[in-house]
Amino acid sequence: MKQKVDPLTKFFVKLLGNEKHQKFTIPVFAIVLSLIVGAVVIAFLGKNPLSAYWNLLQGSGIAPKARYAGGKSMLTDFFSFMNYWTPMIFASLSVAVALKAGLFNIGISGQMLTAGFITTVMIGYSTLSAPIAKPLVIMIGLIAGGLVGGLIGVLKYKFNINEVVSSIMLNYIAEYIIAFFINTKYVDPVSRQSKAVSDASRLTLMNVQIGDLKFEIPLGIILAILVAFFIRFLFEKTTIGYELKAVGANGKAALYAGINVGKNVILAMTISGALAGIAGVTYYMGYFASIQPKVLSSTGFDAIAVSLLGNSNPIGILFSSFLITVIGKGSTYMSSTAGLDAEIASVITGLILLFSACGAFIQYKVKRGKDRIEDAAKQAGNGKEAK
Amino acid sequence: MSDYIVEMKNITKKFPGIVANDSVNIQIKKGEIYALLGENGAGKSTLMSMLFGMYEPDEGEIFVRGKKETISSPNYATQLNIGMVHQHFKLVSNYTIAENIIMGVEPQKKFLGILPYVDIKSSNQKIADLSKKYGLEVEPTKRIEEVNVSIQQRVEILKMLYREAEILIFDEPTAILTPQEIEFLLDIIRGLRDAGKTIILITHKLEEIKKVADRCAILCRGKLIDVLDVASTSTKEMANKMVGREVSFETEKPEAEYGAEVLSVQNLTVRDENKFEVVKNVSFSIRSGEILAIAGVSGNGQIEIADAIAGLAHVSEGKILLNGKDITHYNIRKRTLEGISYIPEDRQTYGLVLDFTLCDNLALKNYYQEPFAKKGIINHQEFEKFGEKLIEEYDIRSGQGNKTEVRSMSGGNQQKAIIAREVEQDSSLTIFVQPTRGLDIGAIENIHNQIIEERSKGKAILLISLELEEVMNLADTIAVIYNGEILKTAEAKSLTVKEVGEFMMGVKSE
Amino acid sequence: MNKVIIDGLSFALPLFIMAIGGIYSERSGITNLALEGLQGAGAFVGALVAILLMNKLGPDSQIPYYVAMVCAMIGGMLYSLLHAVLCVKFKADQVISGVVINILAMALTTFLTKSINRTVFGAPSDKFVLGVSARWTVPGISKIPVLGAVFTNIYPFEVIIIVIAAIAWYLLYRTKFGLHLRACGDNPHAVDAAGIDVAKVRFKAVMMSGALSGLAGMAFAYSISANYSSSIYVGYGYLAIAALIFGNWKIMPTLGACLLFGLAKSGGYQIVQAAGMPSSYSDLVMILPYVLTLLLLVFFSKHNNAPRALGEIYDKGKR
Repeated sequence: MKQKVDPLTKFFVKLLGNEKHQKFTIPVFAIVLSLIVGAVVIAFLGKNPLSAYWNLLQGSGIAPKARYAGGKSMLTDFFSFMNYWTPMIFASLSVAVALKAGLFNIGISGQMLTAGFITTVMIGYSTLSAPIAKPLVIMIGLIAGGLVGGLIGVLKYKFNINEVVSSIMLNYIAEYIIAFFINTKYVDPVSRQSKAVSDASRLTLMNVQIGDLKFEIPLGIILAILVAFFIRFLFEKTTIGYELKAVGANGKAALYAGINVGKNVILAMTISGALAGIAGVTYYMGYFASIQPKVLSSTGFDAIAVSLLGNSNPIGILFSSFLITVIGKGSTYMSSTAGLDAEIASVITGLILLFSACGAFIQYKVKRGKDRIEDAAKQAGNGKEAK
Repeated sequence: MSDYIVEMKNITKKFPGIVANDSVNIQIKKGEIYALLGENGAGKSTLMSMLFGMYEPDEGEIFVRGKKETISSPNYATQLNIGMVHQHFKLVSNYTIAENIIMGVEPQKKFLGILPYVDIKSSNQKIADLSKKYGLEVEPTKRIEEVNVSIQQRVEILKMLYREAEILIFDEPTAILTPQEIEFLLDIIRGLRDAGKTIILITHKLEEIKKVADRCAILCRGKLIDVLDVASTSTKEMANKMVGREVSFETEKPEAEYGAEVLSVQNLTVRDENKFEVVKNVSFSIRSGEILAIAGVSGNGQIEIADAIAGLAHVSEGKILLNGKDITHYNIRKRTLEGISYIPEDRQTYGLVLDFTLCDNLALKNYYQEPFAKKGIINHQEFEKFGEKLIEEYDIRSGQGNKTEVRSMSGGNQQKAIIAREVEQDSSLTIFVQPTRGLDIGAIENIHNQIIEERSKGKAILLISLELEEVMNLADTIAVIYNGEILKTAEAKSLTVKEVGEFMMGVKSE
Repeated sequence: MNKVIIDGLSFALPLFIMAIGGIYSERSGITNLALEGLQGAGAFVGALVAILLMNKLGPDSQIPYYVAMVCAMIGGMLYSLLHAVLCVKFKADQVISGVVINILAMALTTFLTKSINRTVFGAPSDKFVLGVSARWTVPGISKIPVLGAVFTNIYPFEVIIIVIAAIAWYLLYRTKFGLHLRACGDNPHAVDAAGIDVAKVRFKAVMMSGALSGLAGMAFAYSISANYSSSIYVGYGYLAIAALIFGNWKIMPTLGACLLFGLAKSGGYQIVQAAGMPSSYSDLVMILPYVLTLLLLVFFSKHNNAPRALGEIYDKGKR
């Protein structure tokens, strides 16, 4: 029997076959694939996909727009982009920490909301001065998120409750209870949202005048990048990280090795929740200053795409969150210029998520193709010898 | 018309990296018992999987009843009246025996003349009749999870007979049975031959072949070595051909020198999740320099004893003392530190983190101690140093040394890695559970020698094995477990295989 | 009291049929967290067809209602192919696949609803207005105290659901297909050895869950909101999963769990109304099914008998 390898397989093997680079090439492949599918959808709606994608970059302050309003420039756009990027980084790290320990935290939006609401009420409506209020917001957000995450961990370990189901339930419980309190106590009758928090407590400095430009400066972005490196350190260099990874990769072997599995499940969810909590305060008390009742932010869900795309690697996440944020943030501008519904952004994000979920399959296929090519090469070699 | 019911000509099958069968030729006569002998990995199962349609050969031809066939699926094999009992039973645990047997060929009736449904009543009757006919008694309405492995095997055989198989393939059928059950099975196999069936028996056990087979083909590393007439060949000769060199049947073992008592298990009772007593009031002790083996049929509580000692299972009642210290309520890590090493039965589920690298796995028990980590910060160089040392000392082979993902390593080398790690703990007690399962003869010898070496160093060793041969070979003391109870504890020399077998079945008690 | 039963049933039955879908998928060994997305995607297709038909046939016709039910089932089934392909063919992580499919469903249907409203109907709106379905009352029996409420003000979909549920029960427990399906969730190797294609059985099981979820989604769209919008994604899919966990992956006990959820929800509403509390208090009542779910899970999750092969990727070569 003669084996033939079709040129398409050869092409993909050449493109993605290098195992060392697969961590990088396969996500990029998933992104390109999603952008192509997205482009088809856009073209189908009668719009130019290339200019739509260019609009995304313009809206994120990465490419220049044709004209700017007073006090605005590409740089101010990029700062406001970073303002949106910050909670995304925290939320994605939150997903990643849980995933490393073999857990799926889909309750990030609820944890963000809980942390955002508690800090809004405790600090946002207080008269504390900025140097005290801002650190307190982060501390309280971290604790609030950590408690909710920890609760999910306890439910998982003590009662064997699937963390996906319990965190979704907690999402809705948080959503409705907080809506109840906002509507009965803290509502701003004009905006129908919660009353705005004090500037002193807010984690983004608004309208900072530099030259003739007005900036939004997100203080959290520096913390976000530091935390990303810290999480990497945690997983690469500490026994805590080793234990979390062991629990995630094989809980039974971890138990056998004397690792306290329950403690680690709860710890992982607590860290994950705490990160979601910080994401929440940078979102509701940074990017925004108020909470819209009965709405969960899409950031908590987009973060899943970011984390899968970044292979749950904290540094990979810095890149992938950047990309997803460009799509999310830029979509408003795209919508107004190209006349496309802004929701196309979440469709593209969803597609990226879908193709990322196929990553293992792509890897497997490439490996198979590679083996076939090698076999074919060997056979060809044998054939020559026979002659 | 050819004399042979099955002919496989020049069969070659390759898997990535290995040639499982290298132009193998076998011819099987109708109505004979034809044995395929070879070590693990010799290619016996692969060869038969092709006859059963699970793989297709890369090269070569298969003839059934003189006609050339392309057997593309087990379904087609069934049509050709070929049946196979796999080494790992393929049964649905929460289904009844009858449901398992009829699955895929269900008789149907119609409710109100339109709605089809599976006619379980008539199946129950048909299976009861069939089981009587061949002496394979089963209760068709019992669930698989309620019956023991020997009955489960009967179900597998009935499955073939129900499908009117004429050519029956048995893949290592005796691996999980007690000596008495083996006798019974061999009788059944003879009976099936006398009823006109053709039997192919895959095995690595020589006595069985000697007992039932008419002819025997020997495979070694994918190649057919020889086909022998069993009656006129000695077992020694067969063994040498199978391994390709001289083999000694018994492990050399120096005289035992017992020291102080290391492990003492007192009135141990373990209950499972459903509060069912799986270990009942068990007591025994092991001295330094002693190998105590627990013999028993799978699922009689021996694994739970090992788990209870290592801390993986909860002790309901009783006490466990290690070097005189009560460790009953210690957690797993504390027990490890007190001096317990554990080679678990399921090496891929418990023994290793398959996605971790080899050196990360080798440090699985020590990663938090100095010099591997200081104040919670890991020193990767120490991991690698330790890994290299063990790889060298224990001859662990892998693609990329320390950095190899353990998942990609062979079973034998995975086991070597676990043994290296556990022996290196230098514990006073080492528990070996099924240490040689699924390994080839070379690897088995190696591991047996390692166990003896540990014994010579004055360690206490608890060996739990389903292979009676292994138990008889290695043990100084044998404890036989049946249904959670230890029925007999005695010096190994004072017991015969037959006696141990009887205790394993719960037949003999004092 | 009657109102509690009427509203309770109209919520419990769609939940039940969706949970049956989940049972089909999970008994075949495929974890299905995608129910939420499947019901939304199915209902989207059904709703789209319904308004297209309504434009043709006028608002009084009942035909769109039934056509919508069928189309929702087809739509859910088609969308579920994604989960089937990912889990069965691509061997992706089933939990991740489920969640991905939910997120994609929400994004896609929201986007499409908006785009279609603008381009096809020329109206910027994020929902399809369906109108409220007719309701039936069985004369005679409905007069019986308490029990009569079961036969009062029934949505037609409730009848459809009961009929389909009965068929689904028969199919799962009495037929060849059901026998194969349930075996796949326990030991796929046994199924394979019996000459049955495991992948095919699982594909069908997942498609069944898609169809039943689509029906449930359409029923929700017609009963709770009388329109289709992204507000259909409020976690009912996850409630259905919780229900089937209490029901131990068996159809009849799952019905009990669904009724409990339905009655808790409608009961809570009645209490708020009876006590004359302001409408914002209904937000507090809304959490009842979710809280109840968590509480029940606390008591029932520890000792449940999930199908043995649930969530395991089946690899033919692996023995």
